[in-house]
Amino acid sequence: MKRLCFLIFISFLFSFSAFAGGGWPQPKGHGFFKFSQWWLISDQHFTDTGLLDPNVTQGIFTTSIYAEYGFTDRLTGILYFPLFSRTYFNNTVSATTGEILTAGEAINGVADTDISLKYGLIVNKPVVLSATLTLGLPFGESQGGTAGNLQLGDGEFNQMLQLDAGTSFQLGKVAAYANAYAGFNNRTNGFSDELRYGIEAGTGFFGSKLYTIFRLYGISSLKNGSNRNNENSTSIFANNTEFLTFSPEIAYNINEKWGVSATYASALKGRLIFAAPSYAVGVYLNL
Amino acid sequence: MGVGIVCRFAAKPISKIMKLQVLIIAIIGTSLCNCIGDDIIFDTVDESIRITNPIDSLQIDSTHEFRALFLNNIGIEAETDLDWQSSDPNVLSIDANGVATGLQEGRAIMYVEVALEDKEPIRDEKLVVVTAAEVLNTEVETTEREGTIRTTSSYVLEGSFILKRENDELRLEIAEDYKASSSLPGLYLYLTNNPNTTNGALEIGMVNTFEGAHTYQLDNDIDINQFDYLLYYCKPFGVKVGEGEIGE
Repeated sequence: MKRLCFLIFISFLFSFSAFAGGGWPQPKGHGFFKFSQWWLISDQHFTDTGLLDPNVTQGIFTTSIYAEYGFTDRLTGILYFPLFSRTYFNNTVSATTGEILTAGEAINGVADTDISLKYGLIVNKPVVLSATLTLGLPFGESQGGTAGNLQLGDGEFNQMLQLDAGTSFQLGKVAAYANAYAGFNNRTNGFSDELRYGIEAGTGFFGSKLYTIFRLYGISSLKNGSNRNNENSTSIFANNTEFLTFSPEIAYNINEKWGVSATYASALKGRLIFAAPSYAVGVYLNL
Repeated sequence: MGVGIVCRFAAKPISKIMKLQVLIIAIIGTSLCNCIGDDIIFDTVDESIRITNPIDSLQIDSTHEFRALFLNNIGIEAETDLDWQSSDPNVLSIDANGVATGLQEGRAIMYVEVALEDKEPIRDEKLVVVTAAEVLNTEVETTEREGTIRTTSSYVLEGSFILKRENDELRLEIAEDYKASSSLPGLYLYLTNNPNTTNGALEIGMVNTFEGAHTYQLDNDIDINQFDYLLYYCKPFGVKVGEGEIGE
């Protein structure tokens, strides 16, 4: 029973990532809902050569709902809906005259949304395996602001197929799990396709009250898009973006249903993406 | 009365739903409270003065009205007091408005000087030959200026260029050795006198060629001596990518 509870819990933990993850689908009739806030502020970015260059300070704040629901013991429906997102860039001000050279701007709205179906290919085994199809819906503004460089999405409809393999085990008296995934993201509208990959490990402490998770995940661009389709793309929505990110997380179960989590993520290397840590806090509900 | 209300409110247990509402409002509030701040751009450049319509010779008893362009400490054209002088007033006289008169045969250096606060004055100068022979007093016209583009970022950007006036057309010819990263979003090219900022710069247009020779046709009204730099600037990231000083 304790092991079953742990398996159910780690399926919740995987759902913390933006993409449906983990080899464990939700049991039939069970669900997981998370309300969270994610943000990133950056004044530098990784260039196409992987070096760091400055940029005008830009910020992105996203309030999202994440939901998983088990239609059957093998089939899980997943929704990631950023119901409110705000992105902005700072004023640039002359150090000589104090005059505003370029006025900062901001836009608010709904951001790009993902809907997914996860199917458990191998369940109730020491190693579980699932396949997930994700559709990226371009609900977010992709060319906001006067210069069109404020974005709440990439403006393209993408389809991603992902395989997850996971296992749970004991580390002494501590329950633990590990998961690995790889996915292919087919992007449209001239954007390059992507390979996505990641590994993850987590452990539960204090009678499964507190969980620590460590993730390493990345994106590799196939660079097969039409290059100039990203004339105004910056931040996390640019074409040919690549990164490898390390992300620790802490999740605390307040009771059987409710819990809170905090996540930190920092890119170890990247190309054409902001170079700044991102943060997320959230509250989740298990049904 | 007020104390009583506070006590009753404090004693009332807050429901879980209310706690959740407060949390949701707080989370969305953190987004809205993130206001636009200021990024400081260090855009100071040295002030400069340049004579824009020089002549190299002047006939005795003829006059020529010199003009000068003063650029302030952010590279913007500005009004200022100009002090016109001649190295030899017996050969060439010049008045406070820059009107020079040839008086006798010889050579004189004509200066224009601007006094700056807490700084040494700046000046430009031109040698003028005064002659009794008939001369056309035509302005010395610059027809070509050239330079080298260099990156000031981690993006590839290099090559040479010529700014050329020919047949009443002004063209910027980028040479075959030009190469630029095509990965950078929204790369734009400017003419400017301050390579640190697009403030006061003239936007030529978006860069669509990333390798090899190509030409930009510029507005014929632009003086070939009006700007001293090419500036490559990434609009979406709001940063300078490279520059090219326009030499003589």
